[in-house]
Amino acid sequence: MRSVSIVGTGIIPFGKHLDQTLVQLGRQAALDALRDGGVKPSEVGIGFFANFLAAHTSAEFTVGQNVFWEVGINKIPVLNVENACTSGSSAFHMAWLSIASGQYDVAIVAGAEKMYVPGLGLINSGETQLDTRLGFVVPAGFAMRAKRHMHEYGTTAEQLAYIAVKNRKHGSLNPIAQYKDPLTVAEVINSPMICDPLTRLSCCPIGDGAAAVILCASSKARRYTRNPVAIKSSVLLTGGYENPVSLLPWETDFRGCRMAYEKAGLGPEDIHVAECHDAFTIAEILHYEALGFCPEGEGGRLAISGETSLGGKRPVNVSGGLLSKGHPLGATGVAQIIEIVLQLKAKAGSRQVDGTKVGIAHCMGGDKDGDGKSCTVNILSV
Amino acid sequence: MVDFSLTEAQKALQENTPRGPEPILKGIFTLPPYEQEGPRLIGGLCARCTRKFFPSPFVCPYCLGELEKVHLSSQGTLHSFTVVRVKAPYGLSLPYCLGYVDLKDDGLRVLALIDFTCIEDLRIGMEVTLCVKEFGHDGKGNPALRYMFSPKTERLL
Repeated sequence: MRSVSIVGTGIIPFGKHLDQTLVQLGRQAALDALRDGGVKPSEVGIGFFANFLAAHTSAEFTVGQNVFWEVGINKIPVLNVENACTSGSSAFHMAWLSIASGQYDVAIVAGAEKMYVPGLGLINSGETQLDTRLGFVVPAGFAMRAKRHMHEYGTTAEQLAYIAVKNRKHGSLNPIAQYKDPLTVAEVINSPMICDPLTRLSCCPIGDGAAAVILCASSKARRYTRNPVAIKSSVLLTGGYENPVSLLPWETDFRGCRMAYEKAGLGPEDIHVAECHDAFTIAEILHYEALGFCPEGEGGRLAISGETSLGGKRPVNVSGGLLSKGHPLGATGVAQIIEIVLQLKAKAGSRQVDGTKVGIAHCMGGDKDGDGKSCTVNILSV
Repeated sequence: MVDFSLTEAQKALQENTPRGPEPILKGIFTLPPYEQEGPRLIGGLCARCTRKFFPSPFVCPYCLGELEKVHLSSQGTLHSFTVVRVKAPYGLSLPYCLGYVDLKDDGLRVLALIDFTCIEDLRIGMEVTLCVKEFGHDGKGNPALRYMFSPKTERLL
């Protein structure tokens, strides 16, 4: 497999974009990425567009072709990717694979989502699935993991809440974050209960947003930029779905992280900065453990140690995470990768982590049989 | 293999009972009226792999063999649970409770509704019993039957 690098990024602020269509959001991010990389539309060999809800919220489908032609990309293979919360990072994985395999030299990935539409309920597992028909909603799945984590390891409501406080502090430094006002542990704990023990401020908000990156064979990356960011490994996995399912440890999460480290020839000790799927406060705690940042069961205590805060040993979700940015599903996985790219290029402004050489972007998506439907882990370095 | 044929008493009961709400998915639990045994979840058994599944999949995912229908245990222990307090789907009344239940003897951990009348009493590790209740609708507004586990021992339907 060939080495692949990231040569351009584009992202629009996450928030409410009521006056913009999905295509308008996506095309702006794509244009910004092309300009950032100095890449001509005609040089792009393959394009991937990520989205989760367009058919449901915008009555749109096969959107990638619309987005890419708006920025002059046509005739090449274009694929539309849906993989729940990892739609963006799954599309990124496919772009990486397209170049690593030697079939293409340059690929574009764009992810976009519009969620501020009336009547959007909680995300579920699909209308024909037994758990959906019983009454399962996504926060409930994480709430049951949280309850179990508290039961087995003594994790506290304060430790959970601290994740939201930390990420909001980070988000206040990120111009594209949707929520920037500071939070306190008490505010998180006392906000209305959604699914016990997760309160409203323990759950990521929805959002409209778009993000795009340009990938290129590393051997040709310096045509476009003096400081390309190399992809050390890119992993996409699905769940096990075997019964009895293990809520803790989350096998799919651990398997994805382990595989990414193995393929990169790196370990948790090599990681300087991380973005992970903090859709709920408990999720970040679980991912600390899967990413090997602490032993199993210690995620809550790691959270309050300060190690994962900006200025700590290994900051996590310096972008503000999904908890501050919001979670425009198709854009999220790409946005996480962009944050790591900015950190590695020392272009993250006031939230810059000093001396970052290696970063990791982690995402999980969907629910099935007590497991996730997808897990992506990308390790990047300069 | 379970005998799914009805006893004369059950047939008489069914004929005299007006057609009530339907289960949320066909074939996942036995239908009322219930005799002494109470409701049972219906799982799949692969005779070759000796594995049980719930709900019963298309074929055995391990050997692609055909599956037999089996009644699963109506007793279990609560592995974890949560109370859902917002945006209920299917007209479920809020708050309602979801949990994972480890079925006694079956080696299966199943997602289930947990009896919402006793939310305050729920504890991880407690013993629970299956019941079937009319709760919420089927997505089209028709009342629906959903299975549920309850810490109480008395039968609720």
